[in-house]
Amino acid sequence: MDSLIAASARALAAGDALGALKRVALRDDPPALALRGIAMAQLGDHPRARELLRRAARGFGGHEELARARCVVAEAEVALAMRDLGGSPRALTAAAATLEARADRANALQAWLIAARRLLLLGRLDEAAAALAKLDAQALPPSLVAMAELTSAELSLRSLQTEVARAALDRAQAAAARAGVPALSAEVTEARRALDRPAARRLSADGEQALRLEEVAALLESDALVVDACRRGIRAGGSWQALTRRPVLFALALALAEAWPGDVDRETLIECAFHMSRPDETHRARLRVEIGRLRSLVGGFAQIEASARGFVLKPHKDRTVVVLAPPIDGEQASLVALLSDGAAWSTSALSLALGASQRTVQRALAELEAAGRVRSIGRARAQRWVAPPLAGFTTILLLPAALPIE
Amino acid sequence: MSSNVNKPSSRPVTTRAAQVVREYGPFGGTERVGGVTYDGRRVWAATGAKLVAFDPASGEPMDSLDVACDAGTAFDGTYLYQIAEARIDKIDPATGKVVASIPAPGNGGDSGLTWAEGSLWVGQYRDRKIHQVDPQTGAVIRSIESNRFVTGVTWVDGELWHGTWEGDDSELRRIDPADGTVLECLEMPPGVNVSGLESDGADLFYCGGGGSGKVRAVRRPRRAAA
Repeated sequence: MDSLIAASARALAAGDALGALKRVALRDDPPALALRGIAMAQLGDHPRARELLRRAARGFGGHEELARARCVVAEAEVALAMRDLGGSPRALTAAAATLEARADRANALQAWLIAARRLLLLGRLDEAAAALAKLDAQALPPSLVAMAELTSAELSLRSLQTEVARAALDRAQAAAARAGVPALSAEVTEARRALDRPAARRLSADGEQALRLEEVAALLESDALVVDACRRGIRAGGSWQALTRRPVLFALALALAEAWPGDVDRETLIECAFHMSRPDETHRARLRVEIGRLRSLVGGFAQIEASARGFVLKPHKDRTVVVLAPPIDGEQASLVALLSDGAAWSTSALSLALGASQRTVQRALAELEAAGRVRSIGRARAQRWVAPPLAGFTTILLLPAALPIE
Repeated sequence: MSSNVNKPSSRPVTTRAAQVVREYGPFGGTERVGGVTYDGRRVWAATGAKLVAFDPASGEPMDSLDVACDAGTAFDGTYLYQIAEARIDKIDPATGKVVASIPAPGNGGDSGLTWAEGSLWVGQYRDRKIHQVDPQTGAVIRSIESNRFVTGVTWVDGELWHGTWEGDDSELRRIDPADGTVLECLEMPPGVNVSGLESDGADLFYCGGGGSGKVRAVRRPRRAAA
């Protein structure tokens, strides 16, 4: 490490990105490129930062493996902040292995954390959880602890484990305070706000009520029979019957639940399940068949009885029936609600779940994407859709941990 | 001026493991050491924004000066010389005052500094060079080329030694001051870096430990006949 590099790194560590840049602005040797890249990332010019870090990594080459691995990690983090998830994770994995082998624990763990966050953004939740588990019980620096806890909070929120998420956020907040990074503390505060935003509506005979994520979880845990229009399924007494692949049955269940404790006439059921406004005898026969299918699926927690004009839902054990709906009405809201599980969905799976045509779903997704409310990964048949993270945590760069460039 | 860098040496190079006899530091709150020197009583270490001095016998801190100190450090018997950014500051060790500055020959790519025979010797890190510099003007008198990154320079008993740090490995090397030929190597243990080198005038080298924030004492090998 030479004198200007040392001075520049010192400025960067003190938060003076411009001062750091000034000292190495005209130099193109790999350590200078790396420092310029990190300074540019902190100034928010991600594409330039990425280019500089790439050139630095190339410049270090094979014989300065440690420095190169640190550049690869920094570059991966910048790519993550740009939401550029297209690249292969192989370079990052290799860099993590190098750092681990060379006893640079802090940066190796940061590399694993970046890998976990990337998987989370890709909607590969199981793999993300597995990557995150590698970080458990490790002695991490506080800024990495904060980031790891934010990531695990995000994972818990996706599966509606709000208590677990809240505990993770508490730990994230404490760690962010210890790290003394204000942006990180702000990020945790913002993530907490996600817990207080309305996540769904509860529709019942008494009317409509906005629910926070926590209340949604409580409702699903309760004894009520919940027809969940967000996740497309029925929950009662701790068991879950997914109907994402059975849109007709879900439409019937929803209609019956909305009318509960009353009954629904056949014409209405046929219209909402088959989209037929002038039913004939064949539709009535088909309705009988579909009701029969639904009856056997929900047999564990409710009966569906025939009434004089149609059908009525009769839950076991005097359970109340509640409908959980997305916070606002409409196709887009339903899509966002489905994607809020954080997993990666294909267009065809979404259209199947919603019982809408692929064209309709595609149109709605395109509008949502333009509004920044969903993201797509991959192309053509491999294209998948994911919701953006509840907490915007991935924009925070912890790059200085990728220093020192020695 | 000479540049027989990579020519195969006719003389066999003695290579052995460096014997680290003692470690000092890290020195409270500092994370790296970029240069070391010895004034006969105290060892000075450059830690970025502070030059710290400690007693090599006890390891106890003795002094500190708030000056910019990014890389090599040297002592001419009266003044300290310190590389900061792209210049070399001449510092009064009693007051910490910078009494003069000259441009560093590597224009900021400098690492490693020592005083010998009326000249300053400056390592130019990634350019793998050692410059002999006029301490009054900063003019380069001559340059020696190495084939490794230079991270520290020192003279002892007419021997020119420099620290290397490349490919994550560090060595102390004795080179022929005439043509840069490597005469002798001391390999530092894996993962132990040298940034800054100074002889105590007897049989020890003080080595800056880079990001470890430590200073290490390494035994200078005794030679029957060189």
